Amino acid sequence: MVLTIERMFVILFLVMNMDIKNKLEILSDAAKYDVSCSSSGSSRSGESGSLGSAANSGICHSFTPDGRCISLLKILLTNYCIYDCAYCINRRSNDVRRAAFTVDEVVDLTINFYRRNYIEGLFLSSAVVKDANHTMEMLTEVLKKLRTEKRFRGYIHVKAIPGASEDLISECGLYADRMSVNVELPSSASLKLLAPEKTATNIYKPMSQIATRIAENQEDRRYFINTPTFVPGGQSTQLIVGASPDNDLTILKLSEQLYNNYDLKRVYYSAYVPINTDKKLPTIQSPPTLREHRLYQSDWLVRVYNFKVNELLTEQQPNLDVNFDPKTCWALRNLNQFPVEVNSAPYDMLIRIPGIGLKGARKIMSARRLSNLTFDDLKKLRIAVKRAQFFVLCSGKHYSPVKFDVSSIAAALLPEIQASESSLLYKQISLFDTPSFSPSPFDQLLLSSDVHTSITGEL
Amino acid sequence: MIKDYIYDGTFEGLLTTIYYSYLDKDEVNICRLENHIPTLFSEIINVTTDSEIFEKVYRSTLKKLSTEVLRNIYYLYLSEIDGCENLIYSYYKLCFKCGVSINLAKNNDTIIAVDTMVHKVNLEVHRFTGFVRFQEIRSLVFYSPIEPDHNIVSLLSTHFVDRFRDQYFIIHDTKRASALIYNKEEAYLRDFTSHDQQLLLSQAKDDAYADLFKTFFNSVNIKERYNPSYQARSMPKRYWKNLSEYQ
Repeated sequence: MVLTIERMFVILFLVMNMDIKNKLEILSDAAKYDVSCSSSGSSRSGESGSLGSAANSGICHSFTPDGRCISLLKILLTNYCIYDCAYCINRRSNDVRRAAFTVDEVVDLTINFYRRNYIEGLFLSSAVVKDANHTMEMLTEVLKKLRTEKRFRGYIHVKAIPGASEDLISECGLYADRMSVNVELPSSASLKLLAPEKTATNIYKPMSQIATRIAENQEDRRYFINTPTFVPGGQSTQLIVGASPDNDLTILKLSEQLYNNYDLKRVYYSAYVPINTDKKLPTIQSPPTLREHRLYQSDWLVRVYNFKVNELLTEQQPNLDVNFDPKTCWALRNLNQFPVEVNSAPYDMLIRIPGIGLKGARKIMSARRLSNLTFDDLKKLRIAVKRAQFFVLCSGKHYSPVKFDVSSIAAALLPEIQASESSLLYKQISLFDTPSFSPSPFDQLLLSSDVHTSITGEL
Repeated sequence: MIKDYIYDGTFEGLLTTIYYSYLDKDEVNICRLENHIPTLFSEIINVTTDSEIFEKVYRSTLKKLSTEVLRNIYYLYLSEIDGCENLIYSYYKLCFKCGVSINLAKNNDTIIAVDTMVHKVNLEVHRFTGFVRFQEIRSLVFYSPIEPDHNIVSLLSTHFVDRFRDQYFIIHDTKRASALIYNKEEAYLRDFTSHDQQLLLSQAKDDAYADLFKTFFNSVNIKERYNPSYQARSMPKRYWKNLSEYQ
């Protein structure tokens, strides 16, 4: 066979293509445990001669079979790591395939995926290779090339590497829409246990630095419109749930502090997926997704509904209930504040009623300007009357089918299949050993190990 | 006696019809020509589109009602669901009778129906800002087939033109045989048949990035968290056939 130049190029292309495909496979697989996927909070219109824009709402481009959205090209620059954190798939002592992208490869993938409308932008993270500064420099190089050379105006989320110098993080932030430092473990005790090479100060230092720079930048931009933006989408972080013995109160207290002190946009909770075997780690059958769900619900209550963590949990009751959502739990503990008259209650109180959300409350505020609302009207407004009926009055009338006391309401609201009972059932038939077994409709909601972690918060 | 008002399917035609039927004492049924099924008991009135009357209705909607009402009506028209014309008709009557403030009455059946439909159209527009998959036909020339429930292709224009200013693209609504075309200067709508589509795709080269994206799609999934119902809720299966990662 004669190798013409043309054919050589084809072969060369195939080899290079294989290579990039393998890298992409390894380095997106390694990045997937970072749950943040949002592309919101930054608004940037297009510009002639440039590629891309950022939509304030964020846009989901696809959804994988785990139900999570693909918004950003989420990859690691490399998964060669100097650390050996027990919970992490990329830990030094793990025998996994390793790879590293070049700067140009990441830039090329981002631009070409973006042009095909596969993604909203880039989510770039990295294992720590050599040292923190070196890693941060490489990340910055990718961002710089995208923004200056390629004039890319899409969304970029980048990780700040704990321990990297202040100057490097400041430079990187000029190109990014969002920066994040992952706390991962909610207390210094669990940090010592599972990631002994990392220190809490190293993690919180860049966070506070980014927070200060964002605040300064916002102030500057009020006076000088042409000031380059610094992390306009704000910063976020992630906590792993279920890998350490920390309870829900510790986790939510931490989140509340992060929101207050560092003005974080989001705290993400990631149900621990048992990927490593280490005697320091709990043995669980499946990720504690129900506990994660309850934490997210509480997080929204704190961030959007103006609840305080102290209202949701106490030292005596440091974990969230599995059977009731956190707002219902709060309402049952504070029944003296109910029932609430929907025709006169202020907005702040309406959103505290179980079954009424932000949209429902807004609809009530709107509709009651024209006429008094009846119970049927609430149904029409798509209020979840199944839950709300116990807690509301319509023109002074209470429509609850049961007596107004904690035990009757709790009994009426209790789900038909309770988490604690189903856990026994699931252990007996051992659903998780046989993947071919057809999943029951409850398996997402009520995973046996969820129950375990949720009730005790300990493993 | 029911009166069937038949119009040509354009927005101009629809507003003209509203004008003619507004004072009709009988029960009014407005229908597109292509959707009309004649019955024994209805009287048929064919409406000729009149641009002057359209202007008149359009302006008085803006002046006496609001831009929001006009936008709702346009979105209802684009929704193309059965009976959207009759909903528009009763929405008009309600707004003129009670004033614009009736839009606050989220417990009114007509307002609920209008809000629901407008929300559906808005949601689909938002979804398709993400669910369009371009294929590179030639260098920097991109093509994407879509099959939305509602006639939203024109509403996608602002977003995609702003984002992809430096590339040519075609977003082709295969169901309605129309396409949004952007030539780096302006974006316009034109008829686009399956024949045009074949002609275009015959020149296409293989796109290696589609394969790479599929690789990414498969490896970024966490198997331990398998949740197909949640996936299908966020991304309904009827859209999947035009998404390269599902092929």
